[in-house]
Amino acid sequence: MPIHEQSLIRPENIRTHDELVLDGIDVSGHWSTFIEPRVVTDYNEALEDEIAALPGGENIHRCWQCGSCTNSCTVNAVNPDFNPRYWIYLIRMGMESELLRDRDIIWQCVSCNKCTYACPRDVEPEGVMKATAHWLEKKGHTPKSPSIIFDEIFADQVIARGKIEESSIIRKFLKRTGQPLMQDWLIAMARGLLMKLPVGLMRRMGLAMLFRPRTAGWSKARAALEEYVEECEREQRRALGLGNGKPE
Amino acid sequence: MTGPVLVVGGGPAGLAAAEALSGVGRNAVLVEKEDRLGGAPILSGYAKLVPTGEWAKDAIGGMAARVEADAAVDVRTGCTVKEFGGEPGAFTATLSDGSTVEAPAAILCTGFTHFDSVNKPEWGFGSFPDVVTTTQVEQMISSGQGVRCPSDGRTPKRVAILLCVGSRDRQIGREWCSKICCTVSANIAMEIREELPDCHVYIYYMDIRTFGLYETSYYWRSQEEFKVKYIKARIAEVTSDGERLIVKGEDTLVKRPITIPFDMVVHAIGMDPNVDNLLLSSIFGVELEPHGNIARQSAYGGMGRTSRPGVFVAGAATGPETIDDSIAQANAAAIAALGAGRAATGPKAARKAA
Ligand SMILES: Cc1cc2nc3c(=O)[nH]c(=O)nc-3n(C[C@H](O)[C@H](O)[C@H](O)COP(=O)(O)OP(=O)(O)OC[C@H]3O[C@@H](n4cnc5c(N)ncnc54)[C@H](O)[C@@H]3O)c2cc1C
Ligand code: SF4
Ligand code: SF4
Ligand code: SF4
Repeated sequence: MPIHEQSLIRPENIRTHDELVLDGIDVSGHWSTFIEPRVVTDYNEALEDEIAALPGGENIHRCWQCGSCTNSCTVNAVNPDFNPRYWIYLIRMGMESELLRDRDIIWQCVSCNKCTYACPRDVEPEGVMKATAHWLEKKGHTPKSPSIIFDEIFADQVIARGKIEESSIIRKFLKRTGQPLMQDWLIAMARGLLMKLPVGLMRRMGLAMLFRPRTAGWSKARAALEEYVEECEREQRRALGLGNGKPE
Repeated sequence: MTGPVLVVGGGPAGLAAAEALSGVGRNAVLVEKEDRLGGAPILSGYAKLVPTGEWAKDAIGGMAARVEADAAVDVRTGCTVKEFGGEPGAFTATLSDGSTVEAPAAILCTGFTHFDSVNKPEWGFGSFPDVVTTTQVEQMISSGQGVRCPSDGRTPKRVAILLCVGSRDRQIGREWCSKICCTVSANIAMEIREELPDCHVYIYYMDIRTFGLYETSYYWRSQEEFKVKYIKARIAEVTSDGERLIVKGEDTLVKRPITIPFDMVVHAIGMDPNVDNLLLSSIFGVELEPHGNIARQSAYGGMGRTSRPGVFVAGAATGPETIDDSIAQANAAAIAALGAGRAATGPKAARKAA
């Protein structure tokens, strides 16, 4: 059965059964098409607390929906569907299914913090965006975003060695995000470095790539950092109701 | 010009007027139609008051006790004024107990009447026992019983407070804002969250009018400390699925219809003009303003004057007022009443007379 105003209806709300028999009558396919209502029928009361438990989300309950964040937002200027004000409201009121509809754009925040400076209530919307992206990922609603993957590789290396070595971070990042190592921009950058960097520095960079030095006496600091990160992870998983609180 | 000033109505305003008169050495006759003093906060059993957090029975009960013990105030409870005549400086009032009072001036502190939610049947009051009013919740708290669903005594897990019930509503001829119900609702929401931390409270509003300093201590405190949720929606209907109440409306910020289950729905009822106002208007010969409250003559100077010289008004009798404003107005009216019928003396008056 054709639906005439189909453009007005959310595709996921149109339901059709390929095989359905009602009271002995075959209503398979279009005959059983129905439209699910748009009505919000419940609030998820845990949602605001869950976001608030993640770093950056702490001040979400201060928002009064003025729209200054969305108005000043870099990404919103390009994509009108990117609306921090709106997501903050959905989270505060526990409209989880509405939030999940935008799961694929929330992580696009570029952390420019224009919203943070515009917000009259000190919500720090940039932090809320970050917390929301983490929440989506931790709950398994989105795969890890490239920026989260980058952060992880970066943090892992700092914790392991107390130092970072850029080339290995970039290599790991490209590998984990399934990108070829030979990126045009990377080649151009390497060529630029080769031509312009003083020889002494070049040598040190090359040695660092080969021998991966650590900060002296790092193992104690490393143990403390690891313990702290694990504890934060545990707490976050507990706050999000994710099982035993052990890190993944 | 001597004799007691006639004060009608023994709520916060009337008590304050009587106390102020006594304080400057003037007697007062306080006529109260109910059998005890205190007005709405006592008669309706309010809990903790905005903005001090004191219990009504201590704060307003304390005022009533002071006035009752005051030798300068002649308290007549269970009594009304039947007739009133004379001139400023020399009025005669006939009371319902048959006695008469000679008074130079009168102050009307006759207050307001609570809106009766039965007049908004779509919001379920009277049909579903778990739909209650703010005064009922105040009583649940002040009696020590705690906030419970009247149907079966269970503790609610989710409560909706609907604002502007009986206010700002042309359909029922009430276009005014009752001024205090937003703040009272935020106060009640915090009290519910304090008593029942597992119970979530949602306030459905059209505008939030927690004016002045209440912005921080009620509007934001209720959200930041007590996690009360505010949703911009005027509820269309309250029904029931047989187990819980169903609140229907539109969440205007997401443009989506909502039908949300609740255990308890609270009407933030407004302040109607006193149902006695037409009678009071004819007995005392004072005009009413268009909404039906006793009209004030002037907002600047001559506080509390009505259309009739020598008769003054204070408190919620003039329209929705808070307790502290009612008390301030009563003090102003008491000063005005002391001057009623008196000729000014002093150099300027002497020059004028010459
Ligand atoms: C649910 C609710 C909660 C509130 N909580 C607060 C709060 O926390 N803080 C706050 O500041 N305000 C609060 N208010 C407002 C508060 O009730 C009023 O400000 C206050 O009661 C006004 O005092 P009043 O003396 O002018 O009038 P009233 O309190 O109404 O007193 C009038 C008195 O006059 C008597 N009377 C009436 N007619 C006659 C007559 N014909 N003859 C003789 N006597 C008569 C009445 O019996 C009554 O005793 C609340 C209001 C509501 C509806
Ligand atoms: S930090 Fe993110 S949400 Fe804030 S203005 Fe920049 S892009 Fe927008
Ligand atoms: S600017 Fe701040 S208060 Fe305004 S909508 Fe954004 S987060 Fe909320
Ligand atoms: S004070 Fe608030 S609830 Fe009361 S009538 Fe005004 S806007 Fe409505």
